Amino acid sequence: MKRRDFLKILGVGGVGTGLGYFFGKASKPPAAELIPYLNPPVDVIPGVANWYPSLCTQCSAGCGIHVRVMEGRAKKIEGNPLHPINKGKLCARGQASLQALYNPDRIKKPLKRRGNRGKGDFEEITWEEGISILSKNLISLSEKGEADQLYLLTSQIRGSLNNLLNSFMVSYGSPNYLQYELFQNKNLLHASQVTMGVNAIPHYDIANTKYLLSFGADFSSTWVSPVSYSYAYGQMRQGEDGIRGKLVQIEPRLSLTGANADEWVPAKPGTEGVLALAIAYAIVEDGYYKGPDAASWKALLSGYSPKDAAVVTEVAEGRIREIAKEFGQTRPSLAIGGENLARYENGMSGLVAVNILNHLAGNIGVRGGVIPNSNGSRTIDFKNNIAALAEAASASKVKTLLVYDTNPVFTTPKAMKTEESLRNIPFIASFSSFMDETTAMADLILPAHTSLEDWGDDFADPSVGYPVATLMQPAVSPFFNTMGIGDIILSLAKGVGGKVKDKMQWNGFSDYLKDAWKENYSKDKDMLASALTFDEFWNQLLTRGGWWPDEKAKVKAVSVSPKGIEAHISKVSSRFEGDEKGFPLYLTTYAHSSHLDGRGANLPWLQEMPDPMTSVVWGNWIEVNPTTASSLGIKEGETVTVESPFGKINAHVYLYPGIRPDTVSMPIGQGHRAYGRYAKDTGSNPIEILPFKEDPETREIALNSTRVRISRTTASEKMVKIEGSTKELGRNIVQTISPEEFKRMNKEVS
Amino acid sequence: MAGFLERITERLNIYREPGWYKKFDHKWTMVIDLDKCNGCGACVLACYAENNIPVVGKEDCDKSRAFSWLRIERYVEGEYPDVKVKFIPVMCQHCGKAPCETGCPVYATYHNQDGLNVQVYNRCVGTFTCATYCPYDVRRFNWRTYKFEQPLDNQLNPDVTVREMGVMEKCTFCIQRIRVAKDKAKDEGREVQDGEIQPACVQSCPTGAMTFGDLQDPSSKVAKLAKSPRRYRLLEELNTDPSVIYLKRVMNDGAGTHEE
Repeated sequence: MKRRDFLKILGVGGVGTGLGYFFGKASKPPAAELIPYLNPPVDVIPGVANWYPSLCTQCSAGCGIHVRVMEGRAKKIEGNPLHPINKGKLCARGQASLQALYNPDRIKKPLKRRGNRGKGDFEEITWEEGISILSKNLISLSEKGEADQLYLLTSQIRGSLNNLLNSFMVSYGSPNYLQYELFQNKNLLHASQVTMGVNAIPHYDIANTKYLLSFGADFSSTWVSPVSYSYAYGQMRQGEDGIRGKLVQIEPRLSLTGANADEWVPAKPGTEGVLALAIAYAIVEDGYYKGPDAASWKALLSGYSPKDAAVVTEVAEGRIREIAKEFGQTRPSLAIGGENLARYENGMSGLVAVNILNHLAGNIGVRGGVIPNSNGSRTIDFKNNIAALAEAASASKVKTLLVYDTNPVFTTPKAMKTEESLRNIPFIASFSSFMDETTAMADLILPAHTSLEDWGDDFADPSVGYPVATLMQPAVSPFFNTMGIGDIILSLAKGVGGKVKDKMQWNGFSDYLKDAWKENYSKDKDMLASALTFDEFWNQLLTRGGWWPDEKAKVKAVSVSPKGIEAHISKVSSRFEGDEKGFPLYLTTYAHSSHLDGRGANLPWLQEMPDPMTSVVWGNWIEVNPTTASSLGIKEGETVTVESPFGKINAHVYLYPGIRPDTVSMPIGQGHRAYGRYAKDTGSNPIEILPFKEDPETREIALNSTRVRISRTTASEKMVKIEGSTKELGRNIVQTISPEEFKRMNKEVS
Repeated sequence: MAGFLERITERLNIYREPGWYKKFDHKWTMVIDLDKCNGCGACVLACYAENNIPVVGKEDCDKSRAFSWLRIERYVEGEYPDVKVKFIPVMCQHCGKAPCETGCPVYATYHNQDGLNVQVYNRCVGTFTCATYCPYDVRRFNWRTYKFEQPLDNQLNPDVTVREMGVMEKCTFCIQRIRVAKDKAKDEGREVQDGEIQPACVQSCPTGAMTFGDLQDPSSKVAKLAKSPRRYRLLEELNTDPSVIYLKRVMNDGAGTHEE
């Protein structure tokens, strides 16, 4: 080609491109898109961030958050520094909830099932259609006189939304508003009622205690209110007063909290309650309890002598007496009972024993001890909720099921046959924003907002000794075509008409919320004492993020007497399914520190964040003691089949010296079959092989109640962990000093 | 050319003098109390969120390409039942005498007027020299251009640039937050106050183990904590003069004996 030809072609092509550009532009005037903020909204200044206070809904702790919003998009979530629960701090799960809002796998529009149920074949519909389909279903149900066969299943919702859902169900004529939460604190509440007569989960003043005896409470990662307790832990270790609190952890598998403990007592699984009672016995016998009713306590505790307990718990008698001495003499000391104690079949009994310990050492109602809360706690009865639903559904007594914010197909043991029973329900509507396992079975999906787009409120439970209410306000406008759950229910009420419509005349959930707070305001004399009109008060709620008294807690004393307690404590260790020969290993399960009960598994940040104890990413594992593994001929990273009497799953082996040789342990949270691209087919779900058992007294599900056997199988996927060596190899990276040296040093300084 | 080299050697010599940092405006320092740290990982996630750190996926994690600028190292010593576990958050130590700075052929990593060890992404040509020189293994390399799957990109922090393939990156002590605070202080005609700047990790830390501030300000929290008898710095024997000060963990692990 000559140079001249080349230039010609170039010229013609250039003109063509130019013309094309010109016509393209001319056909759609671009001005509207070029300057979107010619008249910007008041709160949008490019480059300047707005911070909206709101509520974190990733777990039930009820932390206050600040959402950083720039140009209408949420950018980051931090703790609300004014909030008494989390004091400006926030855990990884809370920060990652941003990725729920902008998740690529969100359900963007209302959906109607097109093909067979569970095949994932949906067609998009409008909100009007969606609401009308569901209203028609509800109308026909009530016309047939089957209103009581409408079931609503939600997570453990508190506050105004709970009241709204309840009044909707009541005015519709169905008593079946049920809730389900895999990890809740039913046993803790019940133990508090039995021993202290207080209908509230107490506040544990970890910050000011000097000796913390934790029975399997992993408060650093998932127990009750992790951010609040982590903050307190920091204060306990290196607080203002310079006296370092000691932490002793009793659990079969070293949790994150256990990893930070000064001493680890690996008692035999299921015997921790007996151990607590033996410590109590030693406190009374060795004279650390000074109360006038010492004799009756001793009578109550007879049969729990450290000598006998040593045989059952595999903790030496001397060690038990040592703990009793330190616990009884250190002022103030504190005993807490967590998941690993509460999730046995006799979990309640163990927690009662922990309360007895606190009473004997004089820790109840004192600074640095157990501080009773005044607000009434509410927990969910497992048997009367999810189990009742499964039962009714398998008997075909459920015509329509509404599901919101819970995923029972994933979080109930397979032995319960939840999935099979849900198949019997003719019509399921889900309000989930994500295609989780339960929503995948739905006939109609009306996607609700995520918490950053919606209104709401929450009353923290357990609180910190005084009531704390947090307000949730939309930090950003809805990103997809979704609707707030409260608004869905209100428009449904309008669609159903009749009595339901008359009872629920609010235009939107934000109006309902404001009315509810008007009522709180006029009733609560503390709030009235703030000398603000309601509008001023409401504005303050929105800017502060909630309401809590400025005055701190008044600690009140609570008496504990040995009378009537005997019926609630049990002498025997907890029972496990599966005979010892066929299933030689105890299985303890725990909530994955980033995925909790599986709800966080769809957030890529949480998937990629290394687990604190194993550094495993994008998957789960089974922790096996190296001696057990070598006797079975299993190496790290190999895949094993974990088999209980109720089923089997595969898992990767992680060799972990921090676990008893007779125990294996698995985190709950992975192993989704649906729930978006990040969660799907990552790891396996140990809930599947758990028995369907409960604490007979509190009817709380007992997760740690089966034995398993493991055997090597062919590898499926690879286990990926971030760490190289777990040893320092003489590099002196984490330097330490002994507690004695620390004490001496502190004296020198002061 | 000779003049250029002279300027560099002159600059490097500044850091060799004791108390060199007094010539700078600030000496940003982080104190991490290992006795408070419980290893929960909130700081790791805060760093991801603040600094637009990409998620690389399972495969790349397996190739040691996980991008976290801040990691929590965990050490397990001993056998059952005498197991001792220790945690330590490790990020760029912002060394006063940074080995990485001496290696970079294009001056992409240098010391700024605040005594920070900064990385200029536009200059970086990806020779990997700095990462090889770094004894703390805190530098992260963009092996490819990682995509933020839509609409997750809506969450990207507009104050922090996104990086692409071939660029080295690392912890910046959240320099964007330092800049904002300094600008604000300048506008208001005052000094930056202690506690005004909090990098994302410090802000989020649930136990309050991390503290950030100016070591040159004798009344600052870090200046007080830095005098603690528990203080030490990571691999101090390498004489890198890190700006991150750790406070020793209080525990009975047979201190002094570090065989294994």
